[in-house]
Amino acid sequence: MIRIEGLRKSFVGDVDALIDIDLEIQRGEFVFVTGSSGAGKSSLLRLLLRQERPTSGRILIDGTDVGALPASKVPRLRRSMGIVFQDFKLIQRKNALQNVSYVLNVAGLSRSEQRRRAYNALRSVGLSHRLTAFPRTLSGGEQQRVAIARAVVGEPSLLLADEPTGNLDPDLAVEIMRLFREINARGTTIVVATHDRDLIKRMQRRTIVLKRGRVVDVGNGS
Amino acid sequence: MGLGSQVHRMRYFCADAWDEWRHSLAVNLLALVTLVSALFVAGLVMLLVSNIEYQVQVLRDDVRVEVYLQDDQGDDDRRMLLQRLQATENVERVNYVDKAEALRRYREWAADLAELVNEFDANPLPASLEVFLTPGAEAAETATAIAVSLKDEAGVEEVRFNREWLGRLESLARLSRVGGGGVVAVVFVAVVFVMSSVLRLAVYARREEIEIMQLVGATPGFIRGPFLVAGAVQGLIASLLALLSVEGLRSIAIFYGNQGSVALLDLVAARPLSPSLAGSLLLLGLLVSLAGSYSSVRQSV
Repeated sequence: MIRIEGLRKSFVGDVDALIDIDLEIQRGEFVFVTGSSGAGKSSLLRLLLRQERPTSGRILIDGTDVGALPASKVPRLRRSMGIVFQDFKLIQRKNALQNVSYVLNVAGLSRSEQRRRAYNALRSVGLSHRLTAFPRTLSGGEQQRVAIARAVVGEPSLLLADEPTGNLDPDLAVEIMRLFREINARGTTIVVATHDRDLIKRMQRRTIVLKRGRVVDVGNGS
Repeated sequence: MGLGSQVHRMRYFCADAWDEWRHSLAVNLLALVTLVSALFVAGLVMLLVSNIEYQVQVLRDDVRVEVYLQDDQGDDDRRMLLQRLQATENVERVNYVDKAEALRRYREWAADLAELVNEFDANPLPASLEVFLTPGAEAAETATAIAVSLKDEAGVEEVRFNREWLGRLESLARLSRVGGGGVVAVVFVAVVFVMSSVLRLAVYARREEIEIMQLVGATPGFIRGPFLVAGAVQGLIASLLALLSVEGLRSIAIFYGNQGSVALLDLVAARPLSPSLAGSLLLLGLLVSLAGSYSSVRQSV
């Protein structure tokens, strides 16, 4: 599914965010990427999302070299993924249903199909009673669940999450992880960047540990 | 992409443009007011220039030389003069106005002063030849040539035509075209600057939203669409408001002007903007707003 070969990412002033990364993530896997602040977790996700290009090396997703992809093909790549952020990144002037159906609108689905699938996605995260609520009226946990519904509504084969529980209390973090586990059980590959060691221990999944831009350990999370 | 998808997409663009307009009401109203003000100034200049040009054209089309004859001029001399004038290039026709007709016209034209001529023993008004010229740019030149050639002609008392007035109006028309064009250019440079700043502000206010749209896979066209629809509609609305304001101001001026002197108003505001000029103003508003929206959103997407 994801194959990373000799990846290096340097920013202006020769600051190395990632150095000599070689990784492979299998289809249907649930993987954590962890490390302290500045270890390179978010940089790795930004590269997978093609918000950045590698300085050298390659990232292959289903055989496609993400770094070499022309700008015009990037939207299609992103539509094949689901994305969840720490700060939820919901469109404030759209309600929960509109935020979720936006992804389907972009993909060109009919209005009725958008509504049907967005409703089902929101129901699957337990928010069928909050369809018309705007983000500012939702709690942090509810906003993150809307973001997860948005991430899965397009039935992506890969879901990327950058510190998805960073703004949530421990109980809500467990709830979000339960949702991820369900999504993963349906066959979606999940990559979660987090510095929450307790969460990783509880989930018992393969964990890639980064330190100063290098992979220093790959374990099963126990 | 099929027609159904395109219709669906356009409907979404319109709905989203309206939704965004409502949510950023202050910034969008500022952009609208700026555009209406600029188009109003442009509309006033168009009204002024078009009216002056119309009056110039009316005068040009009505360039007429009046050749007043001495009372003692014989019929044969008059006939020869008339034939000579009819044979002149750019002369459309020549009318003979005898003394009786001249008196009748005077009484009709100045009814209040008609009694004055009764003080005279005989009709004091001279007979004349009215020389009508073919409308066109050469009319004024021909009129001048006739005036010069007949100045010292035997049997001719005086030659008159509206050259001076026409000359002044033509100068005014030239001045209004150049000056008006200059004013419109300056106003539009200013408005493009202000509009692009205001619209950039609107786009900046939505930068996070745009980033989210990019992250979930929206194409640049899909993100720009609502901005462009909003820009186009805003431009058309601003143009319509500017047109209504110009026509409203013109109507008010005519209404109050009719209670006083109307000469100046006749010159600058007698006629409303023609459909083609009104269409040009609509197009101008549409293009300026659309271009402003495009250049602003292009920097972010």
